[in-house]
Amino acid sequence: MRPRSSRRARAATLLALGAVVATGLHPSRAEERPDPAADLRAFQAHFRDRFPQLPIAEFANGPYAMDAGMRQQWEEIMQFPPYDFAVEEGKQAFETPFANGKRYADCFPEGGTGIRQTFPYFDTAAGEVVTLDLAINRCRERNGEKPLPYQTGLMASITAYMAETSRGKPFDIRIPDDKRALAAYEDGKRFFYSRRGQLNFSCASCHVQAAGQRLRGDVLAPALGILASFPIYRSEWGSMGTVDRRFTSCSAQTRSEPFAPQDPGYRNLEYFLSYMSNGVPIAGPGTRP
Amino acid sequence: MRRTWRRCALACAGMLLLAAGARAATEAEAGAALRAAEQQQAEAARLRNRWIPAEAALKAAREALRTRDYDRATELAGRAEALARRSVEQAREQETAWRDAVIR
Repeated sequence: MRPRSSRRARAATLLALGAVVATGLHPSRAEERPDPAADLRAFQAHFRDRFPQLPIAEFANGPYAMDAGMRQQWEEIMQFPPYDFAVEEGKQAFETPFANGKRYADCFPEGGTGIRQTFPYFDTAAGEVVTLDLAINRCRERNGEKPLPYQTGLMASITAYMAETSRGKPFDIRIPDDKRALAAYEDGKRFFYSRRGQLNFSCASCHVQAAGQRLRGDVLAPALGILASFPIYRSEWGSMGTVDRRFTSCSAQTRSEPFAPQDPGYRNLEYFLSYMSNGVPIAGPGTRP
Repeated sequence: MRRTWRRCALACAGMLLLAAGARAATEAEAGAALRAAEQQQAEAARLRNRWIPAEAALKAAREALRTRDYDRATELAGRAEALARRSVEQAREQETAWRDAVIR
């Protein structure tokens, strides 16, 4: 018979081995737990290291912060900003009462003025990400109006006006300590880094790895601050477009079938990207080539 | 003489094989190819990773089948199946591979 101390030592060894094996079976468990704050620090440090000459506010200007020639053209375009008509139309729509006498201002905090930088947010009651565009349509529906198409037209004009009232205010996106909010954030992050489509591109392929480089005639915008200028007047489109329009066209450019506008996948992606841009000032509406 | 006969027989067999290979596809074969492509595309949809060219090829294959161009339908369905299969593989691979691209 073994002495008691020897049995105890053997049991302790077995327990330790078990713990090592269990840890070995889940080597990535710790890194799989979402840590948005750590992601934010790493994300912004990457772009600061890559473009040390740029102050954080400049990232809102996308390709114009990357290329001197493009910036010069942009400054000339901005003498008569092509989105001005949309801002005017959006202001008028925003201030016009619905058929029931209520207004958009009744649906938003601060009367809807100067709040763009807080969207999207996680609605803990509904358990989902709410973008500004979605909030606008829900406001309309609550007041007996038909929802607007998401990609262009009046939706782009109203969001252009609302963005204009927030110009210069830094992104201030919160991720509440809620499992569902963290899951939505993680889903957006997964989408951003996942390769998709026949061309096998992820969002990060262009806007992280190739940020600032040329893709044919375009200079690729960095992911940091990439949504700060939305909605945008895009010369390629010849009209205004929302974040949905951009996500849809990006997906199609990789030959991946786009999701429907405001699909939870796109809303979560917007949540992730906006959170990563915390501190970058709103510069919308904007223009892009 | 015997060698000549043997050569003739081999040539005939070769021609028969070629003819069999080049024969037109049947409706059943085109239908089976289309079903296989649709199955792969349904899996890609489940994984939320459908590719535009796969859907375009599938749509063209359906149209070719409708107009009874079974050769074309079989060829297009084969292309759609290959593209859809790759989109499924991509989605499965990216379930974990995306983490390698994360900025840390």
